[in-house]
Amino acid sequence: MTSAPRMVLAVIGTTLMLMLVAAASGPAWRYHGDAQARLRLSWGARPERIEVCRTLSEAELADRPEHMRQRVECEGTTASYALEIQVDGRVIDSRVLRGGGLRHDRPMYLLDDLVIVPGEHHLVVALTRREDEPVDQMAAHDTTQTVADTGIFAGRAERELEERDRRKRAAIPARLRLDTTLVFQEHEVKLVTFDAERQILQLHRPPIER
Amino acid sequence: MRALDAGFTRLYGWRHNPLHQPGTMAVTMLLVLLATGLYLVFFYRVGAPASSVAALAHDPWLGRWLRSLHRYASDLFVIAAVFHAVRMFAQRRTWGARRLAWVSGLFLVGIGLMTAWTGFVMAWDTFGARLAVEGARMLDVLPFFSEPLSRIFSGEGPVQNAFFFVNLFLHIALPLGLGAGLWLHVSRLARPVLLPPRPVVWTTIGALIALAVVIPAPLGPAADPLRVAASTPINVVTSWWLPFTEALPAGVVWLVVLLTGTVLVLVPRFTRPKERVGMDAPSVVDPRLCTGCNQCPQDCPWDAITMVERDDDRPTLVALVDPERCVSCGICAGSCAPMGVGPTGRSGRDQLATLREDGTLVARALDGSGSVPVVAICCAQAPATHRAALEARGARIRQVSCVGNLHSSVVEFTIRRGAPGVIVFGCPPRDCIGREGPKWLDERFFNDREAELQPRVERARVRTATAAPGDLAGTVRAFDDFVASLARLEPPRIEPDVDITLICDPVPMGADDE
Repeated sequence: MTSAPRMVLAVIGTTLMLMLVAAASGPAWRYHGDAQARLRLSWGARPERIEVCRTLSEAELADRPEHMRQRVECEGTTASYALEIQVDGRVIDSRVLRGGGLRHDRPMYLLDDLVIVPGEHHLVVALTRREDEPVDQMAAHDTTQTVADTGIFAGRAERELEERDRRKRAAIPARLRLDTTLVFQEHEVKLVTFDAERQILQLHRPPIER
Repeated sequence: MRALDAGFTRLYGWRHNPLHQPGTMAVTMLLVLLATGLYLVFFYRVGAPASSVAALAHDPWLGRWLRSLHRYASDLFVIAAVFHAVRMFAQRRTWGARRLAWVSGLFLVGIGLMTAWTGFVMAWDTFGARLAVEGARMLDVLPFFSEPLSRIFSGEGPVQNAFFFVNLFLHIALPLGLGAGLWLHVSRLARPVLLPPRPVVWTTIGALIALAVVIPAPLGPAADPLRVAASTPINVVTSWWLPFTEALPAGVVWLVVLLTGTVLVLVPRFTRPKERVGMDAPSVVDPRLCTGCNQCPQDCPWDAITMVERDDDRPTLVALVDPERCVSCGICAGSCAPMGVGPTGRSGRDQLATLREDGTLVARALDGSGSVPVVAICCAQAPATHRAALEARGARIRQVSCVGNLHSSVVEFTIRRGAPGVIVFGCPPRDCIGREGPKWLDERFFNDREAELQPRVERARVRTATAAPGDLAGTVRAFDDFVASLARLEPPRIEPDVDITLICDPVPMGADDE
């Protein structure tokens, strides 16, 4: 083959290969072409502690170093929750949620997408603690001052109670329920989250556009 | 592989065949990526990734085509690197000294793919978001993160700048790792070649620029976590795996990646010859013949030979071959004037012994049975069709494992025993399995490199040429030109009594000299 036809063939070959690179660089890939919508559940919160608390006696407290005289000691487990999602009265998902970590005492994270047919739907998301409340919770609310609570340790009982209350407030409550009617547009994602401040499940507003 | 090679040689010629140099092509693309990336990073904002990349994509001047060039260069980098690996595997160039290059090359491809991954995430279009979500899903099964990374993209809030900052950091840091990995990749080579010939470099870059100008790289709509994209522009070259992994549990994906990676890393073990004999025999040194000239360590492409102290009373050093590094290319045999080193059966001495036993040339000349044929010495990799064509044109064919293995004395004695001329057909220099065979052959024949072709040999009777798959016409033309040039010379002076055994040291390799 003389050089001129070979040059033409080389140019054609190069052009074809370049076109192939360009074609491979960004073909539209049908992704979720089913025109369906999504219901997304996403939150991260601490599960409740199911504890039995005991008030230590004066003698027990006196045996301990001053900085370790925690008045109320609690032992127990971390709660698990039953999640149930209903759309138009039909259960589309139900499962048990537990906290993270081997002992399930870490925050409980959830991220899940459920396919929903576009249109108006009655949606119920219910999260219910599976464990019963301990019979005796009185000790956890004990704020009796002891002789040891003096000096820089004055008011320790109140602070302990406050800390237990704070943890309880931050934890997922025993029952959560979102009962609402929503209109799902095609390809739209409706996001349900847990508002730790208000202790409710809520529909999330779209974030600020980037 | 050979058919593909031949096709590309027909199109571009063996000198500029891009398939002969995929590794250096990948390095070229890496340089293009660094140059274009340096420009693009100045316009990227971690606080507004999608809009800043969109602004670049819509910039009618430099930004648009530099971004496209960056993208196409990354595609070509991956294509070239993967093809390089496939080629090395197909040519069994993965064991011995090349094991480190193979393993480091695998990691380089992996780092390249991860860099591309972070690059697409930087753009934060629908495709970038899809890659980010998939990456987070993969990482979430590992016990490293206290909170699942996937929730970053749930839509509860805007994706934090910190994420894009870390992603940008990775996109810059990973290529630095590529640089370090590249150093490791070529560290076992005596003289690594990092770039293709200039015409190939500039033609490739020019073609990619033209492509970037004519067909700008696509950019999907900005990612919106609260909207499911019906379709996304997906980069098939770097992210072909995405639709498959999305359909599988993350644990299964990790398992597949780990198994595949393990098998690939173990390839040198599978491809290593079970017994180092025949064409796989490592070079050995006969210390009685070694003069300590230091030439074989200089010519060895793999740094497999070192000079060490002798254990006798001679004042010189002696060559020592590391069989673990030696890949049996035989180039050392061609470099040794006293023929003291080389693979068993392929040393200069073995080559001369074969020539001595072949008395056909002289016999023909003496009994007048016909004209003495031109001798064509071909590399074992030369296509059989080329050898057949040469034979059909009257050439007497001899074969060597690599033209770099050919000892110049073989050519000298072939001519002195009556051959009118010797033409040596090697592989295209960029496709030599011994790496430097054609280069050292030319140096030894025409530039007095040790072990040089002796001055008494008429250079007009010796020629080197290339027998490239896909260029049979070139091989035949080179032979015909050579034969025509020989016709213009005086008839060769035949030395029927030349005794190779007397001229060479008669001590056989490995024999006891006591």
